[in-house]
Amino acid sequence: MAVVEGDAAIQRPRDGDVPRQRQTRRLTETGVFAVLFFAFAEVAIQLVTLALSHQPNVTLALSEPVATSFSRPDIVDRNGRLLATDLQAPSIFADPGVVLDRDELVEKLITVLPDLDAADLRRALSDRSRRFVWVRRGVSPKTAQMVHDLGLPGLSFRYELKRAYPAGALAGHVLGSVNVDNRGVNGIEKYIDDKIGVDPVHAATLSTRAPVRLSLDIGVQHALEDELDDAVEHYETDGAAGLVLNVKTGEVLASASLPRVDPAWPGKYLDEKHIDRMTGGTYELGSVFKTLTIAMAFDEGLAKPETIIDVRQPLEAGRFTVKDFHPAGRPLSVAEVFTHSSNVGAGMLALQAGPEKLQGFLRKLGMLDPLNVAGASVVAPQVPPAWNRAATITVSYGHGIAEAPLQFAAAAATVLNGGKRVQPTFLRKFETGEAVGKPLITATTSRQMAQLMRLNVTSPDGTGGQADVPGYRVGGKTGTADVPDRGGYASKSVISSFLAAFPMDDPQYLTFVILFEPKGVASTGGRHTAGTNAAPVTGRLIARIAGELGVAPMNTIASQ
Amino acid sequence: MRLLNVTAFFFAITSALLLYGLNYDTRRLEDEVQAKEHAAELARNDIAVLKAERGNLARPDRIDALARHLGLMPPRPEQYQTGREVSELNDRQENADGRR
Repeated sequence: MAVVEGDAAIQRPRDGDVPRQRQTRRLTETGVFAVLFFAFAEVAIQLVTLALSHQPNVTLALSEPVATSFSRPDIVDRNGRLLATDLQAPSIFADPGVVLDRDELVEKLITVLPDLDAADLRRALSDRSRRFVWVRRGVSPKTAQMVHDLGLPGLSFRYELKRAYPAGALAGHVLGSVNVDNRGVNGIEKYIDDKIGVDPVHAATLSTRAPVRLSLDIGVQHALEDELDDAVEHYETDGAAGLVLNVKTGEVLASASLPRVDPAWPGKYLDEKHIDRMTGGTYELGSVFKTLTIAMAFDEGLAKPETIIDVRQPLEAGRFTVKDFHPAGRPLSVAEVFTHSSNVGAGMLALQAGPEKLQGFLRKLGMLDPLNVAGASVVAPQVPPAWNRAATITVSYGHGIAEAPLQFAAAAATVLNGGKRVQPTFLRKFETGEAVGKPLITATTSRQMAQLMRLNVTSPDGTGGQADVPGYRVGGKTGTADVPDRGGYASKSVISSFLAAFPMDDPQYLTFVILFEPKGVASTGGRHTAGTNAAPVTGRLIARIAGELGVAPMNTIASQ
Repeated sequence: MRLLNVTAFFFAITSALLLYGLNYDTRRLEDEVQAKEHAAELARNDIAVLKAERGNLARPDRIDALARHLGLMPPRPEQYQTGREVSELNDRQENADGRR
């Protein structure tokens, strides 16, 4: 030690430097201690901060943001029967950084998930900078187990919520569908997103919201879809649509459109052929429209059911000549104009009222403006650009004006509901109070229209005879509309429809059945008019649902 | 002074032990709560699955086919009777049974 000090002393130039060196050393020591102190203090502060900001859930730390999923309330029918719910389903994802053999992984996955896009997955996996690639979201537990059993490194699972529709394709158009993040895309599902609310979730947490109760009755819905299925097969139609509406409350009890869609396979919703024909398409509905024209004539005091109109001469309307399908060859009463479905008669009544009154009446019933319906989006009507003589005549028998069938049904329901506005809804109504507001038409007109519709079914020369169901006092109106074709109307294809209500002494329920391009088959004697196809379908439908809806059948003889 | 030190030391040790125990108790309780919450979550999921299964089994097209297989069909209007008719039916039955 002494030698060392000696050596040190030799190297020192002067003795007077020693106290200064000591001072320097003390300073250095203090500095080091200070640095150490602050370092430890920093660690301590960090620890305290971490302890205070304690997070119970470990959040996934990934280099890519993980898509948030949404938990949705259940959907049930008016009696609480389940139509849609969230279930936990495993989703498969891959970490490209951990995948050993990309090609092996893709090849083996294909054996379990044959519809996987191999090229797409290979491309995603080749990017080693990514740490997260979805392989397939929302698979069944069985599939997940099969993928797990492949034992491929780099694949992992994550539980997510997946929408399930226990009733299958039933009411598919009304329910709509959700996307892969469980967000509503159309139908009621979209309505839930827009108006009721969904909750973003990271894990698969089920919604605590109360179920959304629809106005639909799945028993009635099934009966409607079943009858339409039969009709499509029997009359070889291109599609069909149907509706059952509560006239008093506006609740839609059933709404169907064929070909149907399955909410679990939402790809078809975008297909032109698979649109919801009840709300998503506008059609020239033809003679069913006369219900409104004649209601207008009664309500404006222009005619009574027994008023006689000379319908022997065809009407000139611009380039067209309006004729009757089955000319009566004699003057008809207004009631007969309805039951014979005379285009000339309806046209003359509309001309007598004039375009302003017709337009005003239709506007009053909400036929000329877009209709807002809770739970569905209804396409806006297509109305004539100018209400000239030709438009007035054609509109009177349902041509030159195209409406979504639901919108027309709502207007017809208003006519039958004593003139009180019927606002259609797909949601269950709980308040029983009758609709308030001034009646849009008089109670007398409403009663007269109900009688005419009943007459159209009971009278031997009425067009709706095949819709009658003994005991249930069915009334209705046929419509056989030509389908617009390039530059005019197709001669062979029609849209055949039947608007009905029952029981006609106090209409409770309205049905609307539409068959698209039915063929003339043996049972209809080769005809494709509504009286031979849409009317009997309606009859079978009402026979099936009336009891379920609580309408008591009357003594068969008394009801005629 | 020494007594104070000893007491303080004793208190420090005791409170340290108590805190240690309390800490473990808390963690145990937290674990229990988490286990219960997990069980509740599982039960909720099971309920959701069972509800969906019941919905699937009770779907009208399935019931329809089963009912028709059993020879049932939608009620016909003539199968409905008014209350009076039903009570008359009842009376007749009772008369026939000799209960009146």
